[in-house]
Amino acid sequence: MPTIAIAGKGGSGKTTIAGTMARVIARGGREVWAIDADSTPNLGITLGLSREESEAVKPIPRSILHEDKDDEGKRRLTLGVSPASVVEQYAAATPDAVRLLLMGRVDHAGAG
Amino acid sequence: MCGAHAAVRHLLGGMMMADHPVTIVDMEAGLEHLSRGTGRHVDTLVVVLEPYYKALEIGRRAAELGKELGVSRVLAVANKLRDAEDAAAVREFARVNHLEIAGEIPMDDDIRKGDLVGRAPIELAASPAVTAISALAARLISRVLPSRGPE
Repeated sequence: MPTIAIAGKGGSGKTTIAGTMARVIARGGREVWAIDADSTPNLGITLGLSREESEAVKPIPRSILHEDKDDEGKRRLTLGVSPASVVEQYAAATPDAVRLLLMGRVDHAGAG
Repeated sequence: MCGAHAAVRHLLGGMMMADHPVTIVDMEAGLEHLSRGTGRHVDTLVVVLEPYYKALEIGRRAAELGKELGVSRVLAVANKLRDAEDAAAVREFARVNHLEIAGEIPMDDDIRKGDLVGRAPIELAASPAVTAISALAARLISRVLPSRGPE
C-alpha cells in the first residue's frame, strides 16, 4: 500500500489532514500506520489520543539503525530491523486502530 | 544528519522494499525535512496550499523538492478555503505552477474550536472539512484522481 506524505507550511492544516485521512482509511477497514515526523508533534491528538496519552508516546529510538562500514571504510547506517517490527515495538495504539510512530526529538542546535 | 531524521528516513527507505499497510507521514513544517531527503522514500507527496502567498510559495517549493527527489506522485490539496474566490486563487496558482489539486477543503472553524478542547476533527458532527478530507483519502487510496479542472 502507498506511503503518503503530507507537507506544507506550519499551521496549514497538515496534521488535521494527515490524522483525519489515517482515521478515515482505518474506519474503512484497512490497517494504517501513521508517522509523526514533525518536530512539534501533535498527530496523536488528531488520531484521538488525549494530551496526556499523546505526550506519553515514546519516539522511535535511533537504535533501530545499524552502523557499519561500507567497502571503502566509510560509516554507513542501515535499518537494523524490519519496519513491521519497528511498528510492533514502538507504535502507539489509537482509538481507530491507527498505529502511531513518533519521530525522535530533533536537536536543532546540533542538527546537520 | 540528525539521528531523529535518519531513523525516519531509513524506516521509510525500508518500507519501500517491503509490503506494508497504508502509511501516512505528517512531515515537518516547512522545507528542511524534505531537503534532507526524508521525502525521497514516499510514493505520494501531498502539499497543502492555503490561500495566502507564504503558504502557496512553501507548498510550491515543497512540490518542486518532491519532484527533484523522484517522488512518483506529487499532488496539492487546497485547504482553509473561505469562499469561491479563495478556491479560484489556489486553482490559478496550481495551474500556473503545474500542480494537480487532489482535493479542496473548506475553512471549518469548528476544527479550531475542537482543538481548544482536545477534540479531534473526525469527532466533530457534520464537519464539511472532514467530508472533504474523506473524499481526498478515498482518492489517494484508489489512485483515481480527478481531472485538473478548467484550464
